[in-house]
Amino acid sequence: MNYKIFCLLLIILVGVDAYSQNTIDSLSNYSTQNLLQINGYQRILQNLEAVPNGMTFGGYAEVLYNQPESANGEIDVQRLILLFGYKFDDRTQFVTEVEFEHVKEVYIEQAFVNYSINNSLNIRAGLMLVPMGIINEYHEPTTFNGVERPSIDKALIPATWREIGMGVSGRSDALSLRYQAYIFNGFLSHNGSDGLLRGSNGFRSGRQKGAESVFRTPNFSMKLDFYGINGLRLGLSGYFGKTQAANEVFDTNGSRVGLSMLGLDARYNYRKFTARGQYVTSSIQDAFEYNQLTSKDLASNMSGYYIEAAYNLLPITNRQRLFTFVRYENFDTHHGVPSNIIKNPSFHRKEITTGLSYHLAPGTVFKIDYQNKSTAIVDSDRGQINMGVGVWF
Amino acid sequence: MISTLINFSLAALCFINTSLDLEVSKAIEKRMRKEITKVFLCKDYEMADVTDSPSFKFKNSTYLSDHRIYKISRLGSLLGYAFLGTAPSKTDTFEYLILFDQNFIQMKAKVMVYREDYGGEISSNRWLSQFKNTSLGQRFIYGDNISAISGATISVKSMTNSINYVYSQLQRQLAIASR
Repeated sequence: MNYKIFCLLLIILVGVDAYSQNTIDSLSNYSTQNLLQINGYQRILQNLEAVPNGMTFGGYAEVLYNQPESANGEIDVQRLILLFGYKFDDRTQFVTEVEFEHVKEVYIEQAFVNYSINNSLNIRAGLMLVPMGIINEYHEPTTFNGVERPSIDKALIPATWREIGMGVSGRSDALSLRYQAYIFNGFLSHNGSDGLLRGSNGFRSGRQKGAESVFRTPNFSMKLDFYGINGLRLGLSGYFGKTQAANEVFDTNGSRVGLSMLGLDARYNYRKFTARGQYVTSSIQDAFEYNQLTSKDLASNMSGYYIEAAYNLLPITNRQRLFTFVRYENFDTHHGVPSNIIKNPSFHRKEITTGLSYHLAPGTVFKIDYQNKSTAIVDSDRGQINMGVGVWF
Repeated sequence: MISTLINFSLAALCFINTSLDLEVSKAIEKRMRKEITKVFLCKDYEMADVTDSPSFKFKNSTYLSDHRIYKISRLGSLLGYAFLGTAPSKTDTFEYLILFDQNFIQMKAKVMVYREDYGGEISSNRWLSQFKNTSLGQRFIYGDNISAISGATISVKSMTNSINYVYSQLQRQLAIASR
């Protein structure tokens, strides 16, 4: 601890911009010559000056108000996330995000080491976000419209979905392509006494969140992002594997299920107009056996999509932006069911959200919207008004 | 005891970091030379650092935390200029290179080193080609004549602002010098 404080003080003393200057200075061998005639202490100082690293501090937060029709509203500090990064050198970096949910629950959202071999190849290991769809990776409140994240990113993609694992990521500048491929820990489907997966939200309760995770068989995850057409970004994600189960039921038929999840996403910007959309489909193997063992109602297929369009009402040169948007979601966590359960029509959800996102400054947003939520059941419409403030720094 | 430990660990840390730091800047230089060769179609050029010469000298800013300007010539005739700048990304900095012809028309922009994961999309050759063939009088507006990249907004804005700043400063200095 002492050492860290000492280091920090030294870094502050020698000036913040010293590092970048140094990188370029050394093009002319200037710093090499200077190393010759100094004592040990000066060398430490000078070298710390050259340390291309340091602490990073940041975070994001959402304080939200949800008001359903004829019921109590809820006001909540939904999430407050503190980001810390430490750069050991130009290649080696540690990133962590500590999350406070609803003020009182603490989680670690990310904690991984990234080792950069070059721009096109990084190796990383630790607790990482699973690259699936848009929101799971890009969930800071200023990056999406709507007070609440799209509902499909709760029920189908259990955002914020993070797992422990390792893998590679990188870019090709020539192809305008970003790739990620990981081996992950996987969901827990049975804890020994109960099944954790169910029809209403699929795998959400099976997330292990990096906490004393059960692991026996690896899961695979990959994502490709293509941004070679100006204004357009396309994503293709996949997640394949089998869930984990507690030792005592590991060999019991139905305690584990297979999962293949596929996601397609697109984001488009043209001047003041933006649009995005996402399609996700999950097929689940052995749902029949799982339901038999656990008396749950897990589907054999969950599918859905959302599309959203937004328009900035302020001039493009303004620092502030005021987006008006509309989003339509249609997803069913009982899209296909095994023969031992009946399809639940209330799991086929349709939601329309429309409202405003007012970006007061880059990194600060005030949001207000109206949601109409319905299911495949007749006359199931419910309205809800939401408001919130979000920051990202 | 503790102070010995601190000194020892600092010395160890410094040793590792110095060698890495030099390695990286050598990598930048190597990449820069490679780009110059590609764009000016020759290997036997001379490169002179003119950053501090009166016709080019200008201050850094929020959008440009460091920079170098090199004059590129071959057998005494001017080929063009190389500009190496450092600009901020979300939590770090990145280095970019701009190659100009002898009339300061942009021939190529390239990101030399991008250190963060998020925002690296600005290194896309396709995106950077939007700045190609532009002259110092041109100004770029994010979302207008420079397209956005979803998921890389901060770096896209930073690069756009940085190039605007560099163009305006170079334009001013050159105008003063030619008086």
